[in-house]
Amino acid sequence: MNAVYAALNLIFIVLFAPLLDGIERKVKARLQSRQGPPLIQTWLDLLKLFRRPNVRPRESVRWLFEPAPAIALVSVLAASLFIPSLLPGSLDTWGDIIAFIYLSTLSAVAIALGAFSTGSPYAQIGSHREVSIIMAEEFSLAFIVAALAASSGGLSFSRLFPLQLKVSTITGALAFAVMAYVAGARIPFDVAEAEPEIVEGPFIEFSGKGLGMLKLSIYVKRLLLTTILLNFFLPQDGTVRVLVYVIGLVIISVVYASIEAHYGRFRTKDAARFLKRFAIVGILSWILGVVGW
Amino acid sequence: MEVIFLFIVIILSVASFIGVFSRSAILTKLVNALSALGSLTIAYAGIVGLKESVELNITLLHLKSDSIINAFSTLTLKVDPLSGFFMIILGILGFCTSVYGIAYLDMYKGDKRLYAFNYPLFLLFMFLVLVSWNLLWFVVFWELMTLFSQFLVAFERNEKTLIATLKYFCMTKAAADFMLIAIVLVLITISGGGDYDILSSQLVNYFRSHPLEMYLVSAGFMIGLGVKAALVPFHVWLPDAYVEAPSNVSSLLSGAMEKMPVYMMFRFFLSFTPLTPNIGLLIALFGTLTLFFGTMYALKQTDSKRLLAYHSVGQIGYVVFALGAGIYLLSKGYTTFGALALMASLFHALNHAFFKGLLFLTAGSILYRTGSRDLDHLGGLARFMPITAFAALIGSLSIAGMPPFNGFVSKWMIYVSTLPTPTLVSLFGALALFISAVTTASFVKYFTSIFVRPPAKEITVKEVPVSMWASQLILAVLCVIFGVYPALPLEAISKAVDSVGVTTPSITVFPGLIVSDGIGNIAPLALLVFSGALTAVLLAIFPYKISLPVWTTGTRRSLAMRLPASSYYASFEEEFEDVYSWGEWCVCTTKRLWDATKAVLSNFEEVSFDLDKMMTGAWLMLLILLTILGGVLL
Repeated sequence: MNAVYAALNLIFIVLFAPLLDGIERKVKARLQSRQGPPLIQTWLDLLKLFRRPNVRPRESVRWLFEPAPAIALVSVLAASLFIPSLLPGSLDTWGDIIAFIYLSTLSAVAIALGAFSTGSPYAQIGSHREVSIIMAEEFSLAFIVAALAASSGGLSFSRLFPLQLKVSTITGALAFAVMAYVAGARIPFDVAEAEPEIVEGPFIEFSGKGLGMLKLSIYVKRLLLTTILLNFFLPQDGTVRVLVYVIGLVIISVVYASIEAHYGRFRTKDAARFLKRFAIVGILSWILGVVGW
Repeated sequence: MEVIFLFIVIILSVASFIGVFSRSAILTKLVNALSALGSLTIAYAGIVGLKESVELNITLLHLKSDSIINAFSTLTLKVDPLSGFFMIILGILGFCTSVYGIAYLDMYKGDKRLYAFNYPLFLLFMFLVLVSWNLLWFVVFWELMTLFSQFLVAFERNEKTLIATLKYFCMTKAAADFMLIAIVLVLITISGGGDYDILSSQLVNYFRSHPLEMYLVSAGFMIGLGVKAALVPFHVWLPDAYVEAPSNVSSLLSGAMEKMPVYMMFRFFLSFTPLTPNIGLLIALFGTLTLFFGTMYALKQTDSKRLLAYHSVGQIGYVVFALGAGIYLLSKGYTTFGALALMASLFHALNHAFFKGLLFLTAGSILYRTGSRDLDHLGGLARFMPITAFAALIGSLSIAGMPPFNGFVSKWMIYVSTLPTPTLVSLFGALALFISAVTTASFVKYFTSIFVRPPAKEITVKEVPVSMWASQLILAVLCVIFGVYPALPLEAISKAVDSVGVTTPSITVFPGLIVSDGIGNIAPLALLVFSGALTAVLLAIFPYKISLPVWTTGTRRSLAMRLPASSYYASFEEEFEDVYSWGEWCVCTTKRLWDATKAVLSNFEEVSFDLDKMMTGAWLMLLILLTILGGVLL
């Protein structure tokens, strides 16, 4: 039964993630006094990409470049199997929050290695930045995970969803909300892609279906991060969950998009500094958790 | 079992004997082949030892006196599951490095007797360190192991290697081992015998009533072993020694010899001393500092072997941290978490031997073909050396802890056993989780700057000979197998943990790892099957048919732009500058101390540049040491 739920969740995530990006694009456009594309624009973009052929740069290392987009996408999809999303059931023995963190790092590493293998200087710069940001992110995230784990006594999602309401878990979850924003590579933390600056960095040599998969992997990753955040508070069963979950996704996306609309890009150094300082929130909630609040 | 032991001792001694006369390349190859055979036998003996403890008493002298020198009169060798487990590590890694050495040693022109004589003895004494069942004999074998490894570091006989050797010698032998000997003598005097059985029955009771002695002895023992395990701040000798040794020896030093102190820590802190929270916490703190500083410094390196050497410091930090956390949690009453942390520690020790052994071998292969260790200079080798590149990729992903490789499982076990506990080790665990990302970054750098980034100047080389890539592939395959099927090593590990008197928790190990009650769960095999199948499908339905040149901003010339290896994570390093400035401060302090000692040592140094005199000198010192030991005790 759980396998069926997981499959349905997977389909939902793949279908809904680009739509959520469409909503965000609309919100950002409106906030910047633009008309904005239709809600399904992201889907249309992806469909167009998937109709185009794959192109491999002649100088690239074939066995690294070709599987990179697929691995990047598949590793986040694998994570979506064990996180309850639309339907409460999932293959919950397949992974816990540590597995999720490592799978999403694997996705980023696959992109970085594929990008490096082309030898393009833009891809190199973008990949350096991507990995630097991951390190800084992990510095904050590690303490938040420790705080949540210490106050709820486990790392698996059956323990963490929903959180017992304590001061430490609430601050931890709120800090996680910030990390979900950062890890989603949203402005001002999109230093790796940085379209106007280094022409999408790691993605520069990917095209067609490969690029489509990479884009989709980012949308799925964003959706998963928001899902984990919502699951911290949502009840794990009942029909009301489905409705609250979808509405919650949209609301959080709108909030994130409206933050995004007001910022420019950080420099890598500034992003790292923000994340380094933000760790203090994680440490504080860890202390609260250990004290038992 | 006697036959197996005898076979190991004889075959390695014979190999070493042949080594003395090995002026020709063929004989050096023979020495390596014999060492490989000996290593395989060690692994076999380890597997036998896991099933049943085997004890072997050899009477050497007939002494009537009842002093402690009696300990020397019999040599008790015993394999129990704990030493059996470490023997498997030693055996498998030793086999791979020996096979690798068959072709690798061709790289060095000139006299290779120094290698051929010392290498089998180094293996032999590591084996004897593991099987000796008496603390006094342990120290003797430990000394001999250090001695022979030291000559292997000095193999190239140039100024750099000799300085590295001297540093290694001064720190481990002159400083730490004397401490170790002192402590061992104290322990033997307290308990009235060096036998491990006597020690574990006597010492625990004694220490219960004498806490001050316990803390002093533990601190001394920890430092004595910690220098060898290269715990921060005693790691200074390690980067130089590992870099200068031939690569297969570096691999063995890092993969196997670094595990010997871990083995003794397991024995000492779990069987010989009562479990004490303070000691556990201190060990865990030691481990955390080691993993943090070791890896943060590794991030900055631009020499391939130096980068790996600093990571050896970092990864041994994970092992020691998990051990300390285990002791702490067990003594605080968190039995499941504690036992799990101990299992994680052993598992990470095993995994580290394989992936770091593998990575040192790949660095050696690069050195073999290009003669360079400079990450700034190398590049684009994946096209010429695909097998080495593939093996290095697996090694890099394993050490980075990416699923489904073995590093993922053992790191996960470390997090699961520490993060959910409401204690200080949970905070240490968070640092370990952060450092894991730094490790990932560091190995993205290692892999890409050697294998895929365009080189500064075009390098055209061939793939390494079969004996070299085959041993790399063996280790790479083991990394995958232990990652997707952790039930196999975990069975051995739970036996080893049981044998030091800790009950292992019942955790599900197949098909996925589940620690009950929602503490944590992963299923690497299921993840691999799902991801592998889906990736294969995606690659099949979206094939790559067109290939075009890389976009070069519109010009016709190739951009061929590359950033130097030092600039990879420059902005991150700048932001975390504080870490490095603490480090600098520590370095300055040690440098002052070092300068003071150097004044004393400068006379000694002259002698040490002459290797033959050094070897004779070391033998003499060992003799004197043994005489003093005997004299004091008689």
